[in-house]
Formats: sequence, structure tokens, C-alpha cells
Amino acid sequence: MQTANSRARILIGKPGLDGHDRGAKYIVHILRDAGYEVIYTGIRRSPEQIVEAAIQEDVAAVGLSLLSGAHNELFKRVIDLLKARGASDILVFGGGIIPASDIPGLREMGISAVFTPGASAKEITATVDRLLSAPQGA
Amino acid sequence: MDGDIAGLVREISQNPAGSTRAAARLMSLLENHPTRIPEVHAEFANWPEPLMVLGITGPPGAGKSTLVDQLVESYRKRHPQRRLGVIAVDPSSPFTKGAVMGDRVRMMRHATDSNVFVRSLASRGHLGGLALGVKGVLRVMGLLQCQLVLIETVGVGQSEMEVAEFADLVAIILAPGQGDGIQLLKSGLMETGDVFVVNKGDREGASQLQSQLRATLNLRTSGRDSHNRSPICVTSALEGKGIAEFLDLLEEQHAKYGDEWIARRQQRFKQEIEQAVLEEAQRRLAETLRTAGIGQDGIAHILQGKTTVSELATRLLHLGAQDTSQHNEGTADERKSEE
Repeated sequence: MQTANSRARILIGKPGLDGHDRGAKYIVHILRDAGYEVIYTGIRRSPEQIVEAAIQEDVAAVGLSLLSGAHNELFKRVIDLLKARGASDILVFGGGIIPASDIPGLREMGISAVFTPGASAKEITATVDRLLSAPQGA
Repeated sequence: MDGDIAGLVREISQNPAGSTRAAARLMSLLENHPTRIPEVHAEFANWPEPLMVLGITGPPGAGKSTLVDQLVESYRKRHPQRRLGVIAVDPSSPFTKGAVMGDRVRMMRHATDSNVFVRSLASRGHLGGLALGVKGVLRVMGLLQCQLVLIETVGVGQSEMEVAEFADLVAIILAPGQGDGIQLLKSGLMETGDVFVVNKGDREGASQLQSQLRATLNLRTSGRDSHNRSPICVTSALEGKGIAEFLDLLEEQHAKYGDEWIARRQQRFKQEIEQAVLEEAQRRLAETLRTAGIGQDGIAHILQGKTTVSELATRLLHLGAQDTSQHNEGTADERKSEE
């Protein structure tokens, strides 16, 4: 029942302890300009808070920004919690300071896309557009 | 998206505490299809209503979200068994339709409290300070057994006062440093306030704002609560000061006016249903006009002076009534076969 006025909602979250959210705010901004309704959680959130907020807000996707190096643990926790809440249909993408060697592992655990420094706004919005228009398996 | 309103309503009403996902989906569904709101009632008689729907409005940056966060904290401590909902509206871009909803940033400590449900809405071109989706979300928060619902508007200027339609009580949040006493004299927003909050009460100019506000409100003769001097609270939301007193005041208002509020909500809901019926009737008549072809012929006949608009309208209503009765029989049969 999608209509012209149903727009995709995306939650941008910053799990863990790093307090640098310039990147997260940049993503919020470019997704807004791409026409998405974007909810921002602010810094230093637990995976539990992010997942609960994503469910209450009924978002189509969650974007996680992380610069501290704890992505393998915290991204996984978000994926696991979504699964436990019966919400694995919510897509998860991520970005930040993430070594290339970690990306295959993240993709394997269910992170749909990983953006690293240098990714252009165009590339990010095009990827999110593609992910959200593709039919999603539950 | 799943269009099954009935199923979602059943799921939520059977287990209000454990159906966050279903509730969130129903909210989206009703946000995207506001004309379907009256359908929710087919599944559930005696729809639960919150004790209080409080509107929080005021200029951008006055501290509305921070105050909401503190109010949630304070209410949850005072009534540990009660559930509450927050509807936070932020503006959509008129250019791209995109929106940034940042009110949650101030409220995230409640994210894992299962008795607090926060829903952000983008205004989607709606200009009254709210979003069309508020109606539906409010219904679902009732079903979730929320006893208090806070509706935070977009940051408003002087004339966005739609929140007064949906809230039992409107709290206007002001902060010092945003203009002199003349601003307080202007029509519009200031007239809708039932209670006033001077936030950032620790800042320079706060007591001056409070006395100017008092002077203005003492002269007030119009508005919803004209028989009563609107109370003023001074808070410092960031530090949690004045919040308990604000909550006391809200509960006093509830004790005084709670029954009136329920009656007013019922009246508003009647109007909503009336509106929905009219919209549906108009949609069906437009369909009849298109398919029965009286549009084109009719226009020609009017131009030739053979008929009048009134005659055509009567004909359309007759044709529409035939279509409608067929339509109704159809759905009644469908219902029987489902059972």
C-alpha cells in the first residue's frame, strides 16, 4: 500500500562511546536532501536503545556510524537484537573508520553496505536508494 | 506495507505491552492513509483513551524536547505503573520532502523503558505546526494504554496553533531573549495557551519575561480558558528544575477539567468521522461522474441551457446511490463469506 506520500524513514544511530558525530550528521543531512525522513539518535547510544527506537519509529533502515573500532561487536549486537525482536526486515548499513579487512565479515553478519572515509554523498544516497527499492526478504 | 488494520488492532489490543512492532506499523499505516483511521473501531469497542493529551509548543530552541524528556522522567517516577507516549513533530522540506527528526536526541534515555513510546513525525507539508499523522498515532497510543500523551509541535512562530485541536491542554514554552513584551500581545499562538512555561529560568531576563507574561495574561478575555488565569511555571529543563511543580500543575488541571476533555475529544472524533464520510462520498461520486459520463454531456447541456447544475447534481446523487447500494451489498457478502 505505498502511496505518493509514504516516504521511507531511516534512523541514524551512533552506538558505543565515541563522541564524534560530524560524519553521522553529514549522513543525516544528505539523506534528508535525498528526500528521506531521517531520525537521529545522538551520540553514545547502546545497541538496545537504537534497536528500540528503530522499532518504535517503524523505519525501513538503520544506519550506524562508528569511529572507535568497536564495529565488529556493536554492529553485530544491533543485528542480533533486531533479529530477536522479529525485525530483521529492517536493513542495517554502517560507516566510519572501518578497516577494509573487516568489511567482508560485516557484510556476512548482515550489514547491507559499509561506507568508509571518502565515500561520496552521491554514492551513499544511490546505495541507500537501491537497498530500499529492492524487495526485502524478512 | 501490510494493509491489515484489523489484524494489527487485534494484536495490539490483546497484548498492549508486547506489541511495539505492530503498534509502530499501525501508526505508519494510518499516517500514510489518514482516511482509514475510522476503520480501527470496527475491531474494538470502547477504545481506551489517555487521561491527558498535552500539547507542548513554542519557538524553536525554547527547550521543548528537553522539557518533554524531563516530564517523561518525572511522570514515570511518580506513576511507575503508567505508560506514556510522546509524539514529536519536526518540519519536512518543501523542496525535497526530506526531514530531520532530532527531538529524540533529547529523549533517548527512555528508549529502553517499555512504558514509554516515542514516535517522530515529519510535518509533510502540513502547516499548522503538526502533521496529518498525529491523529492516527494518537489513536494507537490510546490502544497501547498510554495514560499521558505529549504532543511536541515543530518550533512555531506566531500562527501555528493546530495543536489546540488535538490536545486537551496546550503548554506554551517560552525562553528569555526572544523579543520584548509586544510579542506577547500579538494574536494567535499566545491565545491558545492554557498553561505557560518560562524555560531557561536561570538565564538573564527570565523574571522579566515572567512578569510581562503575567501582565499580558491578566488582561486576557478570549481563548479557551478565559474564565481562568492561565498559570505560569518557571523551569530550567536542562537542570530538571521546576519540573515537579509543572507536573503538579498539569495534574491539578486534569482534576478540574478531565471530564470536559473527554467530551471534547468525542466531539472532535465525531467531526473526523463526518469528514472521512464526506471524503469517501466525494470520491465515489467523482467515480460515478467519470464512469456514468454525465460529466461531458452534462457540461454541453448546461452550456446549451438544457439543464442546470442543480438537476445534474440530483442525477449524480441518484446514480451514486445505486452504485453505493451495490457496493454495500458487495462488502456485506464478503463479510459473510469471511465468517
